[in-house]
Parts: sequence; C-alpha cells; structure tokens
Amino acid sequence: MEAAAVDPSALVIGGGFAIAFVFGLVAAKANFCTMGALSDIVNMGHWGRMRMWLLAIAVAVAGTTALRWGAQVDLAKAVPLRPSLSWLSLVFGGLLFGVGMTLAGGCANKNLLRLGGGSVRSLVVLVFMGLAAYMTLKGLFAQWRVTWLDPVRVDLGALGWADQSLATGASRLLGLEPRTALAAVAAPVVLALLVFVFKDRRFRVNGVQVLGGLLLGLTIVAGWYVTGHLGYGESPETLENVFFATNSRTLESLSLVAPVAYSLELLMLWTDKSLRLSFGIASAAGLVAGALVHALAARTFRWEGFGSISDLRNHLLGALLMGFGGVTAMGCTVGQGLSGLSTLAIGSLLAVAAIVTGSVVTLKVLLWQAGRD
Amino acid sequence: MHFDKDLDATGLACPLPIVKTKKALAAMAPGQVLRVRSTDPGTAHDMAAFAEQTGHALLSSAEEGGAFVFLLKVA
Repeated sequence: MEAAAVDPSALVIGGGFAIAFVFGLVAAKANFCTMGALSDIVNMGHWGRMRMWLLAIAVAVAGTTALRWGAQVDLAKAVPLRPSLSWLSLVFGGLLFGVGMTLAGGCANKNLLRLGGGSVRSLVVLVFMGLAAYMTLKGLFAQWRVTWLDPVRVDLGALGWADQSLATGASRLLGLEPRTALAAVAAPVVLALLVFVFKDRRFRVNGVQVLGGLLLGLTIVAGWYVTGHLGYGESPETLENVFFATNSRTLESLSLVAPVAYSLELLMLWTDKSLRLSFGIASAAGLVAGALVHALAARTFRWEGFGSISDLRNHLLGALLMGFGGVTAMGCTVGQGLSGLSTLAIGSLLAVAAIVTGSVVTLKVLLWQAGRD
Repeated sequence: MHFDKDLDATGLACPLPIVKTKKALAAMAPGQVLRVRSTDPGTAHDMAAFAEQTGHALLSSAEEGGAFVFLLKVA
C-alpha cells in the first residue's frame, strides 16, 4: 500500500543520485582512477589501484549475477547484453576512449571527481566530451558511427543466443540450463579475480582500497536493482510495464559519457517537456556532489585550471576522443568497465580490452616523448 | 634543503608529473636529490606509491605557494 504511493521515477532518479554520491565519495577517498591504475602499472609496476578496480569488478559480477539468478531484474534487456555484437564499434570506440582518457587526465569518471574537487579544467573537458558524445548519439558523428562502424557486427540472436552474456553462450554451446550456466561461468570468474586481488599482502592490508573496491562494486549492483526492480512497473499512461526514468528506456547501472551528454541536452532544451531528469543525469550530478563533499571534508578542495596551451590542447583532444569513443563503445571505464562487465557481456570484455590497450599505448608514447625533451 | 635537479611539473595533469619524474630520476646518480613541483592534486598519492615501489626515498612532501613540492633521493 505504502509502496504504491512512491513515484517510481522519483525513486529511480533519487536512487541514481544517492548511488553515484556514494561512488563519488568512495572513489575520491580511495583515489580510484582507471587511467591512474594503468599509469601506476606502466610507470612504476604498482598494481594497487588495478587490484581495487578488479575487486570492484568481482563484487559487481557476483552481485549482478545474484540479481539475475534470483530473477530480481530482467538483465537480458540491458544494453550491454543485446544479442547483436557490434564488435568494430566496441573495439574502435574503446581504443579512442583509452587514448582520450590518457590525454585528458583521466576518464569521464575521474573528470567528474576532479570537478567536485575544484577543477575548472575538468569542467571544460566534460563539456567538450558531452558535446562530442551528443554528436555521436544524434549528430554528425552518429552518421559516421551508424554508416561505417555499427553495421559490422555478429548477430548472436541468429545463432539462438537470447543475449550476449558469456553464460548464455555457455548455456547454448554446452546445453546447460541457463541458471546452471550462469553460476558455472560467474563463480570461476569471481573466484579468480578475488584470488588475484588478495594474493598481494600490501593490498590486503590497505583498508581504504579494499573497502573502496567493495563499495564501488556494490554501487553497480544497486544501480541494476534500482532501475531494473524498483523502477520497473506499469506506466500510468500506457498501462504497459516500463522502466521508469532511464534514457535507454531499459534497466541501467552507472555509466557516465552518454549521461553527461543528456545532462547538457536537458539544460539546453529545458522547455521541451518530453525531456526529463533520468537515472543517468542524476548519477552524473551525484558523482560530482560526492567528490565535492569529500573535498570539503578532507579540506582538499582547490581551484584548478589549464597550465599551458599544450595542456589545453591535450585535454580538448582527449575530451573529443572520449565523447566519440565512449558512445561508440557503448560505455566508458565505468559504463563498460564495471556495469558492462558485471553482466558478463562479451562486448564489454572487448570494449574494456580496447580501452586498456588505447590507454597503455598512449602512456608508452608519453613516456617516450618525455625522454626526448 | 639542497637538491641536485629541479623538475617543474606545474600545470601538468596526471600521468605527466610521474612520467617526467621517472625520466628525470633515470638520468641522475644514486644519492642525488630531485625536487619536483606539481599542481595536480593527485601527485601526492602518485609520489608516495612511486617511492614505495621503486625504492627511491621520498624525503619530503609539502605544499608551498599553491604547489605541491616533493624531494626524492635516488636509490
């Protein structure tokens, strides 16, 4: 009775803000940064931040699999799991995103965190990234994407796959019952990640990073639950079951590139009543708010701008590459690197591998350039 | 405090301060001290991890006049 009184849209939007607020607070405190994790490995052989990311992935996979296993959410409807595998878009977009995030001082997530910490530079990066992302969703870049990239795909649906999860593949190929296949695939993945993460003693005793990875992974699970369970129900207008207040009109978890574009769209076209606040837009705002609260509490807030013309040039180029790459690869280091991977989607593995490759190559080029100066 | 080489990484964003620090240290002799100045708030974390991992000693880490200043002794 009481539950019926709560507007599902408000629940999804409020939930998105709250979940991302926790993410922002934790990520700022634990210095979570995917590009930084790769830089630590390339430049100093330090795997601490990578272990935190991998722990978050393990927790996200375990929790999301549990939601699917218990039929709490219809995960097969999520965008990363669509049976059409647009591998060229995922790989090409991922590579460009990886290059972009290394030039722009971090990915979309890191720039939202930096904005909360007082970086005006990150605000500029985010606006440019949002513009490029919007152009890739609906503008000139979208035409290129739809003409040349997206059509290069493998239609797994034609092979009888209901979705592109590794578990669905195992179920089809080995003839396993879907829930058995889900457990059989997810359990070894989670276990292997946990073993790798915790075999390092320095990581084990680093409470901030352990707790950080744990909480970040849980926010991804919470995102699926809020949009896919609490936010799923009968629309009062059409009397059909719908997912409330998500831009993709299906269940979502945290993702940051397209939501920044939708945030700009909403602000610019505010009087268009068909546009509304969404889970994604609220989560972009929540992330900044979480980082801001952390910066104020830890007294680390400080205004930051561009250092030089080359700094400006690198950041703007990085922002454009992240906007185009993030939408083309259907997600960033959070959208694919946590939310996507949590669904065990084959496409998310491709996208993340491409992001990592693009970033590592760029890091090596930067190192080589520094040697020539 | 005395230092043998000065690296100005102000205005640079992660990962450039660490990249330039790594390159600068590689050209120095054991026992020499490198001073690094940076304005990226993430550098403090990076320098600590870098010193821990590479064995170079982080002699000091302070904030002076709007910049973060680090002294690293080559291992």
